[in-house]
Amino acid sequence: MRRIFDTGNAAICEGAIFAGCRVFAGYPITPATEIAENMARRLPEEDGFYLQAEDEIAALHICNGASLGGLKAMTATSGPGYILFADAFGWALSSEIPVVIINSQRVGPVSGITGAPGQGEFYLSRYLAHGGNYETIVLAPASVQEAFLLTVRAFYLSERFRTPVTILADQMVTDGWETLELPESEEEAQNMDLQRWERKVHPGPDFYPPTDAIDIPPVVLGHNTGGACSDWTPTLQGHDTEDFELHHKHAWRLIHKILSHRELIDDAEEWEVEDAEIILVAYGTPSRVVKSAVQEGRAKGLRIGGIRLISLWPFQDRLFKRKASYLVVELNWDGQLVKEVQRAARGSAVHFWGRCGELPSVKELLATAEQIKEGKTLSRDAWKTERW
Amino acid sequence: MTELTTKYLRDEKARGTSCPGCGLRPAHLKVLEAIDRLGISQADIVWGTGIGCSGRQTYATWKGDTFAGTHGRVYAMATGLRLALPPNKKIILTVGDGDAYTIGLQHLLNCARRNVGVTVVVLDNLGYQSTGGQYSITTPEGSVTDSSPRGTWEQNWAGSGLDILNVIKEAGATFIARHTVLQGDAVVSSLEKAIQNPGFSLVQIVYPCVSHFGVQALGTRNIPQVYTWFESYPLATGILQDSIGSRPEFSDAFRQQNKKVKKGNQDV
Repeated sequence: MRRIFDTGNAAICEGAIFAGCRVFAGYPITPATEIAENMARRLPEEDGFYLQAEDEIAALHICNGASLGGLKAMTATSGPGYILFADAFGWALSSEIPVVIINSQRVGPVSGITGAPGQGEFYLSRYLAHGGNYETIVLAPASVQEAFLLTVRAFYLSERFRTPVTILADQMVTDGWETLELPESEEEAQNMDLQRWERKVHPGPDFYPPTDAIDIPPVVLGHNTGGACSDWTPTLQGHDTEDFELHHKHAWRLIHKILSHRELIDDAEEWEVEDAEIILVAYGTPSRVVKSAVQEGRAKGLRIGGIRLISLWPFQDRLFKRKASYLVVELNWDGQLVKEVQRAARGSAVHFWGRCGELPSVKELLATAEQIKEGKTLSRDAWKTERW
Repeated sequence: MTELTTKYLRDEKARGTSCPGCGLRPAHLKVLEAIDRLGISQADIVWGTGIGCSGRQTYATWKGDTFAGTHGRVYAMATGLRLALPPNKKIILTVGDGDAYTIGLQHLLNCARRNVGVTVVVLDNLGYQSTGGQYSITTPEGSVTDSSPRGTWEQNWAGSGLDILNVIKEAGATFIARHTVLQGDAVVSSLEKAIQNPGFSLVQIVYPCVSHFGVQALGTRNIPQVYTWFESYPLATGILQDSIGSRPEFSDAFRQQNKKVKKGNQDV
């Protein structure tokens, strides 16, 4: 095992290369630039290709093209670049071409504040493609080590489900420095539960079967399989069609190939939830404050628990069936994750603690938990009044 | 159905779907003729398409491997695909004037700058025709279309002093030609040169859309009348750039660069 001290950006690169990524196309943007810089240095050492794209639209399309030719590919960005991925994300999703997308969330809307963490793309990561009729996989690391592990997993899932997989990180995870352990042998990789999936070539002719099965290789061009691949609604052979029944079959596959195999995707950490009256909920960096708050709260005799979401989409409703008061902690002022928790935790009270750019403190979260326990209205300043 | 279509096009798509009098089909066949003359096998060509009449109607017609990109982005996709394919595999893209010269221009120019080994065939029907006939930057100036009911007034990029192909030339394209679909053998000959170029080639084949441009701009659906007008439409045609071999092809140069890099994980 190689132990180094590095950033989440470097961890993501090492994860990608370990998983077999050989193409990275990107466009510089704070705070994801260092991912591109690391890939520019590392990929040529692995016979891989780093391209500085003309914009983020091109970046993901270049990755899609490389993947269509059989190379594993990744791109990375932040908010203003992420919105430009929409076009290519939809293409990969509907054409069922594996690709990995990193989004290091900063403060929005739009250009907002560059070098500070935000969590404003929770819903956008679910609905980045227009037109609906799909499910998608989104993972959220909370540490440098986990950025490595989840990047490896993102490639693994993208191959098995033949779909783009998104890593929704935040500026603190990608810019933060921590100890990072990297495997140096297959045995060490196995001990770390790292799984890889080799790219295989679909032999044809039925490239788009109407089934929820996974482990079907994607279309790979250049092997004269008659591979046909487009963003039009496909026939079984991948030809374009305007037939509603074929469209229904295609949509059904895009939705249910993911929903039928959630055991491969769903992931979360729970702390002291069994008897908790108040359960804090978060993902990414704020979840680390939540974990400390649970520990300190318990030490003070509070019946407090915590849930950290590691996979965000598809949403894990089953985690929110306990009768308790939920306090959802997010790095935004508008409350995004809280809306999903409200839906999933029907019957329980759901509260929101939001801030953008900087983390909550343990003290603040515990004070809020006390207020909830005492049935007080959650209000810090007049303009911060929570309406949840 | 001809020998060419039977040989190269998928049975269910071999007939074509273009409107009566449309030049798309003959232009498409010219690409097949060039491939046939060069004797390149089906296995050695990957055929990509854009969006619009030319993209939609040529998608998945090729019997071999084929793909369609999002509108205007197929040049970026081909850039990535080029890295994954061995050098002997040719990439041919059939796209429209809107796809290449407006929505996709950013990616087209960068594809030319990089000298990506790809042949872009611009099937130019003088406007946005699959959406019912709106003007594009190749629509003849002054034309009435559905989006220019009083005639276009902006300068275009195809006739009066401004030429999009000059921009593409300056971007670094190593082979550029423009023909009308009526120029028969010259079109096929240019396409042969383009496909043989290891780097970036662009061949623009211009033809009039009868169903929309004919009706809106010329006031007729009569095919001979439309083509009589077209024969007198002034266009600079022929080979505008042939510097094949003057610059290294993108993926080849990339591999050469990578060979200089010391292999193995040095440090993280």
